[in-house]
Amino acid sequence: MTALPRRIIKETQRLMQEPVPGISAVPDDTNARYFHVIVTGPEDSPFEGGLFKLELFLPEDYPMSAPKVRFITKIYHPNIDRLGRICLDILKDKWSPALQIRTVLLSIQALLSAPNPDDPLANDVAELWKVNESEAIRNAKEWTRRFAMDN
Amino acid sequence: MNFFFDVVLNAFIRMLQLFWFGKRRISNSLSIYVKTNEGNTLCVDLDPKWDIKNVKEVVAPRLGILPEDLKVILAGKELHNSTIIEECDLGQQSILHVVRTQPGRNRTRKLNLPQDTIEELASENSDVNESGSKPMNETLTDLPLEEAEESVTTISEQEQEENRAHFYVYCSAPCKSVQPGKLRVRCERCSSGAVTVDRDPQCWPDVLLPQRITVHCENDFCLPPLSVTHTEEIESQILYAKFYFKCANHTSLGETDESVPLYLIKPNLRKVPCLACTDIRDTVLVFPCEAGHVTCLDCFCDYCTARLHDRHFEFDTVHGYYTLPCPTGCPDSYILEVHHFHLLNAHQYEQYQRFGTEEYVLKAGGLLCPQPDCGMGIIPQSPDTDTTDEECRKIQCIGGCGYVFCRRCLQGFHVDDCETQHPVLSSSQNPATGTYAVDPLKAKDAKWDEASKKTIKVSTKPCPKCRTPTERDGGCMHIVCTRAGCGFQWCWVCQTQWTRDCMGNHWFG
Repeated sequence: MTALPRRIIKETQRLMQEPVPGISAVPDDTNARYFHVIVTGPEDSPFEGGLFKLELFLPEDYPMSAPKVRFITKIYHPNIDRLGRICLDILKDKWSPALQIRTVLLSIQALLSAPNPDDPLANDVAELWKVNESEAIRNAKEWTRRFAMDN
Repeated sequence: MNFFFDVVLNAFIRMLQLFWFGKRRISNSLSIYVKTNEGNTLCVDLDPKWDIKNVKEVVAPRLGILPEDLKVILAGKELHNSTIIEECDLGQQSILHVVRTQPGRNRTRKLNLPQDTIEELASENSDVNESGSKPMNETLTDLPLEEAEESVTTISEQEQEENRAHFYVYCSAPCKSVQPGKLRVRCERCSSGAVTVDRDPQCWPDVLLPQRITVHCENDFCLPPLSVTHTEEIESQILYAKFYFKCANHTSLGETDESVPLYLIKPNLRKVPCLACTDIRDTVLVFPCEAGHVTCLDCFCDYCTARLHDRHFEFDTVHGYYTLPCPTGCPDSYILEVHHFHLLNAHQYEQYQRFGTEEYVLKAGGLLCPQPDCGMGIIPQSPDTDTTDEECRKIQCIGGCGYVFCRRCLQGFHVDDCETQHPVLSSSQNPATGTYAVDPLKAKDAKWDEASKKTIKVSTKPCPKCRTPTERDGGCMHIVCTRAGCGFQWCWVCQTQWTRDCMGNHWFG
């Protein structure tokens, strides 16, 4: 195992000193490349009031390749599948080394505010979101209450 | 402790040097070749602390003329008498051009000139000792990639100092690495270095493109070609500069010793942090995008290595280079001087070249020999109208291993359809040997490549487009073919093109 790159150290320090509002990211005690993340559901979204746990891992060639991020808390969202995997362009082909942990988490938070059923990962959720949005939002609120509130 | 010892030792050595060389006038000699416009070359030892006046005093007697009658030219500039040698970027065995300001030559020149310019020329002549300027490396500022629209801004001396141009080159021999470089200039017509430029280059196109900056050539033998028309004659009187670069790391190996400028590498005088590691490093690479994104050289290598590993270099569609864009995905940001990839190690650069060649062959409609350890690029001739389909499919690796194979399935050449072929069995049935019986079933498994062929067959699926055996060692079902020129996106489960349905139903299995 090589030493932790300075960039990761700097990013971690900044995340600690100037945390992003509504997001906490704490490195694991035993692995500085693994972060425990909590994102609060954005206001005026079906996820409001929820606390969503995520895991974020910085691969060996970070920042040349994107961090790997996954929701641990179950969430009803057309771009997040039942295993918590996220459909977000900047985590795939639109990744750039100029992006950071901070920007990735902000994008995920924005994804909660603006679900995109036209680029789905969870097909059934996306389908409902398109056909009957109010029911889909009801489901999302219900899941938020059940899985993201009582912990 | 060691450090302290070194300091003392160095001081002692320096004192010794002072004592020793004090008697010899030259404290730290620099061997320079002096070339005259009459074709002579002298070798002189100079003291870096001397000024150009001292140089003239040393050189003039050896040419049998007065120091006042000499002009010293380096890198397109006549050097002023007060210029100190060490301010010029001269290295051991560099060439200085010395030109005799011949009164006779000027007189004949005057005869040809219209009346009103004679006075001007005469006054120029009278203060010839005071003519000349600072060397190019002192005055040249950092060159922008694009032509600036207006460059009349005046800058202070300090800004000038901070903004001074520094060049990096790839030295192919003997250094075989990226090194600091020196800008030099010669006459485009006669290749003589005894030229003075009419203006300093303002941007990289001034340096890289021909016929941008005019020069005055001091070479007596720089003659225009025999011209026919009057306009041609006038055109041939205009002389242009040809800029080139030398490696500053090794002793000059003569006038033909040139290096490729790596114009995206710059000293980080503006203290811009690297976009990837955010460190502020001394030397950086500035991408040719509008934003001018900056990476340090280490992160640039990491970027190239990651892209090389995934075979994700791209063809710049305009110029056809196999290259990389700015890592943040800016438009129009391809690196157009591929020697920058020499920042990678030799093995990686070789790999880059191989991938580039393979991609080019496939892009041109060619194919690569499928034999292990061959991979020769073959571009078959376009078939004539009367050739049969069979002849079309039959490809021989000429110039490589000589293997004859089927263009469609990339197996050994066969007559029948590709699917019905069993190349494994074809050579084991040999009825000619009557005395030495071999069990064909046992012989079937006792072939050199048999095990690996089996492994490949069992552990891979062919790309639906190019049939390259593909192994999936983890990750999702979305496969992107990495074979040169293919890049087909397919589904591991369906073995057809990747679709939205595959993503919804079995992206991760």
